Amino acid sequence: MERVTKEEVPSKILQALLSTDSDISVDGALENEMILNMGPQHPATHGVLRLLLRLDGETVIACVPELGYLHRGYEKMAENMTYYEFIPHTDRLDYLSPMANNVAWAMAVEKLAGIESPARAQYIRMMITELARIASHLVAIGALAMDVGALTVFLWTLREREKILDIWDILCGARFTNSYTRIGGVANDAQPEALAKVKWFIDQYEPNLDECEKLINTNRIFIERLDGVGVISAQDAIEIGFTGPNLRGSGVEFDLRRATPYLFYNEIDFNIPVYKEGDCLARYFVRADETRESIKIIRQVLDKMPQGEVLANSPKKVLPKKTEIYSKMEELIHDFMIVNFGINPPVGEVYSAVENPKGELGFYLVSNGEGRPWKCKIRSPSMVNLQALPMLVKGHMVSDVVAIIGSIDPVMGEADK
Amino acid sequence: MSVKRREKDLTLLEKIYIPEIVKGLSLTLKSMFKPKFTLKYPEEKFIPPASYRGRPVLVQEKDGHERCVACGLCSRVCPSLAIEVQAAETELEKERYPEKFEINMIRCIFCGFCEEVCPEEAIVMSKDYEMAFTNREEAIYGKDKLLVPVEQLQDRIDFLRKYK
Repeated sequence: MERVTKEEVPSKILQALLSTDSDISVDGALENEMILNMGPQHPATHGVLRLLLRLDGETVIACVPELGYLHRGYEKMAENMTYYEFIPHTDRLDYLSPMANNVAWAMAVEKLAGIESPARAQYIRMMITELARIASHLVAIGALAMDVGALTVFLWTLREREKILDIWDILCGARFTNSYTRIGGVANDAQPEALAKVKWFIDQYEPNLDECEKLINTNRIFIERLDGVGVISAQDAIEIGFTGPNLRGSGVEFDLRRATPYLFYNEIDFNIPVYKEGDCLARYFVRADETRESIKIIRQVLDKMPQGEVLANSPKKVLPKKTEIYSKMEELIHDFMIVNFGINPPVGEVYSAVENPKGELGFYLVSNGEGRPWKCKIRSPSMVNLQALPMLVKGHMVSDVVAIIGSIDPVMGEADK
Repeated sequence: MSVKRREKDLTLLEKIYIPEIVKGLSLTLKSMFKPKFTLKYPEEKFIPPASYRGRPVLVQEKDGHERCVACGLCSRVCPSLAIEVQAAETELEKERYPEKFEINMIRCIFCGFCEEVCPEEAIVMSKDYEMAFTNREEAIYGKDKLLVPVEQLQDRIDFLRKYK
């Protein structure tokens, strides 16, 4: 890899922008080209994403995305804290679905330490992952519609999401930064009121989504702005490393829930929505259909959820129950040991990936037997999905760039880590 | 499930667009008469459930002493390093007490880990969510602001014993 010094960076970006082959000629376009800086403080780039666009008239000839404005060094920070302490930090990766990130982290550490979480905890995890998926897709759908001019849909999908946040408020005590899972289970048992609210939510969700879809699905402006825009073929999507709804919008039926079943997804009956076109509209359709499938999954999960413990019985690795800490000496000692020295998983390395709303979220952990990870690599879907941006926007108008970013649905907290 | 249509599948009526505008406006008009979803916040307060993780507080026993024994576990586990504890000896049965207990509310991320690891049920999350400061010194809460009588925290303590 080529190394560049700090002074060289701006000129390198400019060079990349200029050297990209530009054999697109547009009839009647302006003679002179122009470089446009879009972002990082642009309302349509979904966070601090900076794009440098080379324009011919209003047509994009080349694009260089610049990432890293939200870099907080989470991979390095993970090396300096115990596995337990890193849980709140995973909330802040993909901040639209913190619950799903919590589950991904807990599952990676459990795989590393060899802990089996109890059945009830796993069912609760499935429920919250699917709710997180709905919440995340609702924001994606709403933001995409808002980017192309339909503001009402954004307000209506956010109203639905608000109901999910209310569920999380009851379930774990926080609306946004949940930190709900623990190594070996979940933080607290799901209360009956929370489960009743989930049941209420899934019953009223689909009519409300229909209403949102009624507004835009036959709307000519919405469809014309997305149909055939930002097409990516299945081959290109696989080569770039697309995962999640973006990949399934290109006609590849790949879902980690089906491909490598984790939790109890192999016992659940659900479909994987796939659309062949690979354009912005297909990606939007996939997301809308996926939320319906999530509702189906949650309904089955609620039926199948067993009673029982929510934390594994593994005293040296899992924090004991609160009531036992108050009264028993052994548990008190374990409490102190786990907090002070960590769970000390055996020497080894694991890669554990789950299907997050945005795609495949993977944690690669290397342990040297101490309480902290020796190395933690986060494979974040938004970062990989964004790599396709130069390819997607080439040849489209500036206003299409906004629609394409909205349809890829990046979350910069995750892309920049 | 609604039908997924592309540009070529649109009917003439949908292409004309005027019926779409009417449809959209009627939907919007309908939702104007639905019950309001929002909360008129400053007048109407949000009442959190027992599981809510608000401002962390120290439990004050009925005799006026805090439950805390200054073991320092909360300050060790705190992911954002917001808690500072200094222990001292006391004549009471618990032998140790926190001479100084400070939580920097600017750093606190309300994760609830301090409450979860506390072996004495001495620090719990309250329902207090309205915090505003005008300077940084004000945001460092000492024992005077942190101590809350146990009666006010009873439903959170019940929640912890039942579900955690």
